[in-house]
Amino acid sequence: MNRPRRITLLQATAVLISTVIGVGVLALPRFTAQSMDTGAPLLTLLGLGVGFLGLILLTLLGMRFPQQTILEYSEAILGKFLGRLGTLILVLFFALLTALIAREFGQVVVASVLRKTPLEVTVLVMLLLAAIPSRNGIDVFAYIHQFYLPFILAPALVIVALSLKNADPLFLQPILGNQPAGMFPGMLTVAALFQGSFVHTLIIPSMRRPQKAWVAALWGLGISGALYVVIAMATLSVFGPELTKQFFWPTLELAKATSLPGAVLERLDAPFLILWVMAVFTTLLSSYYVTAYGMSRLFNLQDHRLFSWFILPFVFVLAMLPGNIHVLYDSIQWVGRAGLVPTILYPLLLLLVAALRGKRGASGGQQTTGQSS
Amino acid sequence: MSIFQRWFGKVKKRKQSNSSPYYIPSKELERRDIHLSGDLKKTIEQILNMIGENDDLVIRRFHVFGDYPAILIYFSNIIKQTSINEDILKPTMYKPFHLQGEKIRKDQLRDVLYNDTLFHADAKIENSFNKMLNAVLRGESAIIIDGIKEALVIDTRNVEARSVTDPETERVVRGPREGFIELLKTNIALLRYRLPSPDFRVKKMEVGRVTKATLAVCYIKGIANPALVDEVIRRLQKIDQDNIYETGQIEQYIQDHHLTVFPQAQSTERPDKTASALMEGRVALIIDGSPMVLIVPAVFSQFYQTVDDYTERFTSGSFFRMIRLVALIFSLIFPSLYVAVISFNPELIPTEFAVAAAGARAGVPFPAVVEVLFIEIAMEVLREATIRMPSIVGGALSIVGVLIIGEAAVNAGFASPITVVAIALTTIGSFATPAYNAALALRIVRFPLLILSGIFGLYGVMIGLILITNHLLSLKSFGEPYLSPLIPGNWEGMKDAIIRAPYWLHTKRPQDLYPLNPDRVGDQVQEKLNESPHNPLSPRQSEQSVSKSKKGKEDDR
Repeated sequence: MNRPRRITLLQATAVLISTVIGVGVLALPRFTAQSMDTGAPLLTLLGLGVGFLGLILLTLLGMRFPQQTILEYSEAILGKFLGRLGTLILVLFFALLTALIAREFGQVVVASVLRKTPLEVTVLVMLLLAAIPSRNGIDVFAYIHQFYLPFILAPALVIVALSLKNADPLFLQPILGNQPAGMFPGMLTVAALFQGSFVHTLIIPSMRRPQKAWVAALWGLGISGALYVVIAMATLSVFGPELTKQFFWPTLELAKATSLPGAVLERLDAPFLILWVMAVFTTLLSSYYVTAYGMSRLFNLQDHRLFSWFILPFVFVLAMLPGNIHVLYDSIQWVGRAGLVPTILYPLLLLLVAALRGKRGASGGQQTTGQSS
Repeated sequence: MSIFQRWFGKVKKRKQSNSSPYYIPSKELERRDIHLSGDLKKTIEQILNMIGENDDLVIRRFHVFGDYPAILIYFSNIIKQTSINEDILKPTMYKPFHLQGEKIRKDQLRDVLYNDTLFHADAKIENSFNKMLNAVLRGESAIIIDGIKEALVIDTRNVEARSVTDPETERVVRGPREGFIELLKTNIALLRYRLPSPDFRVKKMEVGRVTKATLAVCYIKGIANPALVDEVIRRLQKIDQDNIYETGQIEQYIQDHHLTVFPQAQSTERPDKTASALMEGRVALIIDGSPMVLIVPAVFSQFYQTVDDYTERFTSGSFFRMIRLVALIFSLIFPSLYVAVISFNPELIPTEFAVAAAGARAGVPFPAVVEVLFIEIAMEVLREATIRMPSIVGGALSIVGVLIIGEAAVNAGFASPITVVAIALTTIGSFATPAYNAALALRIVRFPLLILSGIFGLYGVMIGLILITNHLLSLKSFGEPYLSPLIPGNWEGMKDAIIRAPYWLHTKRPQDLYPLNPDRVGDQVQEKLNESPHNPLSPRQSEQSVSKSKKGKEDDR
């Protein structure tokens, strides 16, 4: 398959950052505080480590097969049937992930800005928002992520900076937390938030220099992970572990608790949430894209555009399955942990088998793109 | 009507030779290629058959050098009469001095006419009847001599043109006051005058099956990417419509995306702007009959740049470019932001203002979105009417418009004063976008955004903005991403995107165009700039020099 090699290192990094930073940030401090109370930042760091492991495996595979995505080389490694099976599981998982992201954010919007709007509408709007641009090629996909990156990082950092006024470092101690038992499940939950980085496998074959994919992985997960840790620290230091556990979306509460100097805007949570639509959109776009692309691979089609509309009703139904917000968060935790199997163990398996069988893809050198210059 | 017509009598004879009930000359010409027969009588018959019904057709019979019967054909209204008289008829009727007394044979006649007698530079010899006729239709004149199977076609075209004036649609404060006009030759002259370079290329082609307008493809060889030029020409050749007379029509054939409101080509009537676009490696298309020149490829950043950005200092250039960008974004989102905040999130704005806004809206029976939509549509109607109406009544209408919109609507309880202020600001802001076609696109996009904000509030505004941005990101003009140089990041291009970097820093041409010669300035421009200057007028030095010169004078004494 001939892909244009146009995506730069910066774009690949931007895709990772804006994919990983999403709706999960809103609930992250609660998850971590529930698992390890004051050890939340440490737990985020540990979770980042686990998530990073998965991405590194994926990147190693990608650099081994620089012409293909995991959906293609899995067949070369495991054989046609098992490879297809793996692809099917990945597609199902990403459809579920897309549904849960859309549902979670729909729930946030209904709870905090549009109280009278039916949940179905906000969820469908988010899904449509992802479905429309997912019809574009991979280069436009990368452009979209690159464009939104500053608008995703800036509001989060501003909120953190403004909240420092109310921060109390005592809330961060002891750093190790008081519930060592919650560490392992908590770690998996946080690691699940980094699952979106799986989209890296779609980017590598279109990168200008696939050999540099690991640099993008390092920076991408490093920056997004650092933002996660900073947000966990800021929330915890403002509210303390007990209050953080009580909020559904502590990050949103953090925005509510801060105010801009100069009294231009009276409240910051609504603007923050509105700006956060961009972060959620990019995350949703990535998982939606992976789903649509995976479907096209499953049916051996060259073009994924057909599926970008086709999968929409299924994802929507999946999104509406959880009955209420408590069931929703239970399923998010459950799906997230279960998802570590296809996103971390599956690449590990592929890498081991590929190493044992000595499989290696054709190297994608620095071939020039279609641009005649 | 010319006097010659009366003199010699115009043969008017209609002949229905074709089997079709309606004999259409253009179809006949398309069907077969007729050669000139050399038989004068037959040729005249053919011509009359095709275009004889026109009363402005002149067929002038005369004798070349007093011996050979010939005709001169032209359309009387698009030729230059003095040129016909002085440059064509006079030299062909009289034998030239150096050939006096010599006998010229019929087979020499063509060469003698062409080489020795005609006083006209733009003459050619045609043997095809079709080409000869097409040339005559364009305003050229043809001489056909009995017994010679070729015609002499001489360019005597003369079309009235207005003078070169200040371009109406793109005013600048500092810069040339010249704009393109309708005549292609004048427009090319205006460009050649700015680009006296051997690399400047003008390629002519014909577009439009009936209008057959001459289209000039201009570029600079060695800067413009040859692949781009080839692609432009390839797309132009695919145009097959009978009436093409404006570059706007061409734009709609050669653009990449048809289902979008955003323009992917820049149209301008400024020669200086066109010349600098050519120098960036773009391609300009000029059509005969229109003062609007098309520049391709065009990306979004070109639509808020003006000539003033480049002629003023880089500080003011950058600042006012940013102001224009702010006005552009402001005019796009301000009405919907206003609706969203007033009707969904009044707690966002300071309490005093929220109370004031609510108080002003107390008497208005509609929701904010309906009110804003009403005023917006009224504004658009007013704007459209101001363009279309005769300029004499312009003042009257604007007074009525201002009164109705500004005062009466508020008094009648249709709208609140704050809404009127908001929409007025928006409308003014939308006029700050220098490119008219881009401003139109943004005006259209404002309405769906407004409706979204009426339904979903701030969330809807954000959804709408994301949709618009994604759409912009997916657009390409001849492969150049529409938001470049911002996306995909290009550091050199960024120096001319949002700010306008000083020339000595902005050393490269836009790289998205893959120009053959990327360097804009010389290698040592920075060093030369940093050389310590001589200051002949700094106070101490000048005192010294003045005293020196005094001393010199005294010494002289």
